[in-house]
Amino acid sequence: MTGLAIDVRKRLGNFELTTAFEAQEELLVLFGHSGSGKSQTLRMIAGLTTPDAGQITYDGSWWFDSERSFNLPARRRSAGYALQNPALFPHMSVAENIAFGMKNTPERDRRAMELLAGLGLEGFENRKPATLSGGQQQRVALARALGRRAQLLLLDEPFSALDESLRAGLRAELLQLRAQMGLTILFVTHDLREAHLLADRLAVFDDGEILQLGPRDDVFRKPSSRRVAELTGVSNIWGGRVVAVEPPRTTVSVNGLVLVANTASGDLQPGDAVDVMVRAERVNLRRELHPSEVHANLTTTRIIEEFAYGSAYALKLQPEGIGPEIEVEIAARPYEVLGISHRREFAIEIDPADIHIVRAD
Amino acid sequence: MNFGDVDWSTFRISAYVALTATTLCILAGTPLAWLITRSDRRISALLSSVALLPLVLPPTAIGYYVLYGLGRQSSFGQFLIDDLGLRLVFTWQGAAISAAIVSLPLYVRTAQAGFEQIEPEILAVGETMASPLRLFLRVALPLAWPGLAAAVLIAFARSLGEFGATVIVAASIPGETQTVPAAIFDAVQAGNQDLANTLALFSALIGLAILLAMALLLQVGGRR
Repeated sequence: MTGLAIDVRKRLGNFELTTAFEAQEELLVLFGHSGSGKSQTLRMIAGLTTPDAGQITYDGSWWFDSERSFNLPARRRSAGYALQNPALFPHMSVAENIAFGMKNTPERDRRAMELLAGLGLEGFENRKPATLSGGQQQRVALARALGRRAQLLLLDEPFSALDESLRAGLRAELLQLRAQMGLTILFVTHDLREAHLLADRLAVFDDGEILQLGPRDDVFRKPSSRRVAELTGVSNIWGGRVVAVEPPRTTVSVNGLVLVANTASGDLQPGDAVDVMVRAERVNLRRELHPSEVHANLTTTRIIEEFAYGSAYALKLQPEGIGPEIEVEIAARPYEVLGISHRREFAIEIDPADIHIVRAD
Repeated sequence: MNFGDVDWSTFRISAYVALTATTLCILAGTPLAWLITRSDRRISALLSSVALLPLVLPPTAIGYYVLYGLGRQSSFGQFLIDDLGLRLVFTWQGAAISAAIVSLPLYVRTAQAGFEQIEPEILAVGETMASPLRLFLRVALPLAWPGLAAAVLIAFARSLGEFGATVIVAASIPGETQTVPAAIFDAVQAGNQDLANTLALFSALIGLAILLAMALLLQVGGRR
């Protein structure tokens, strides 16, 4: 059994954390709000927090087993750990920081230099951490984690304290490292964009448990519950009822607006209460609605609110007639092309593949 | 002020006692403070209570225990005297042991504050890379040094002033075990107010110098 496998429970005051998953050679993002248990999960894998019960194995060797009271010390776990605070040893030079966790072999210094070069830090080896910028410090922290020769990298919001421009660069470097070194990376973040950019797979944490774990696009496009949809930034979540089920199509009614979806999770019957989810960026705006076009997922609307975010606009639309309020996200350029600033009536159209239906909680 | 009556050997003996006591505090108190910082809550509370106990005991009670422990009445004392040939009662070394016990709580509290100033993340990352001993020697000690230096100073100052615990173990033999505080006591008893004045003034000046050094050190620690 290669890779990481964890199945543990931990009580912290009133907070109960239960978590179970496996990770292979991939970048698995642990996503959730602060206090949802994702950082604690990482700490348990690193060996900094002891679970109350369960097992952790890596590449077939035991790291933790509550039944045998076995707990491998953190330093013997072949994992590199880095977090938001670069936490460099301030009294050591950059090179000493990186070498600190490495076995004292003749090639240690050479390898430390290689890591520095790999992260664009040549010439910094004798500098003290305090003389480095935030981004440079975080690079050193990454090099130090990699210096452990670990194939498992545990990263707890490593870029959250940095400027957006620096973050973008470091994310790209991380993806490169991962491709070059074949790493298993567990990456904790509460930033939706970062999660989407980095994740091969995504685990959505909420209140001490994993609500959904799967390939990134599955989680983003087919959230398993209303809560997952909320956490992953689905802005249109409507309560509705099933009208008809004709696999692969499911027809629902939302405040009288009839929508046809290609995807539905669970065994649904007509009359069932459901949550209908559509991501704001998956809704199409159209100038014209031909009179002959009378099919589902199409309605005329009026823009009632808009928010300019620079690269994109968020619009709130009210159907003329029946139906729920609909949020639409549109990039700045199409916004101009459609002339939205001086025109308020638009038709909206939603592809059946972009409508996701789950049974209401 | 009259320096004629001052027996300068009391200053030498006081220095011996205080330096030895401080060394004992460093050796026992530094690991103890680190363990209190790192252990989980219950063990930490237990260790902390043990370390602070001398603070709430009368110094004379501490002196009494040390006298009992080092003397022939106890089996440990017999072991020291008969097997190791160490006679510590009525010596300045015995006084130093008493002074060390009295000063330990102050040393441990101050050192503990120094360790607690280290960012927890630094220790967490360190723990994933190094053994507890290496983490202590290579990371904790260098980063806690302002707190540790302050602890050394306060332990030294406290040992220098200790009277009750030391006088019970070592008495006040001029030229052998008479420290400055003991000499002040003897001077007052003998009605030699001049001598008491002089010695007390010296004590106050030395104490003030040490506290000043400590305040400056803690400013260095706070700035980092």
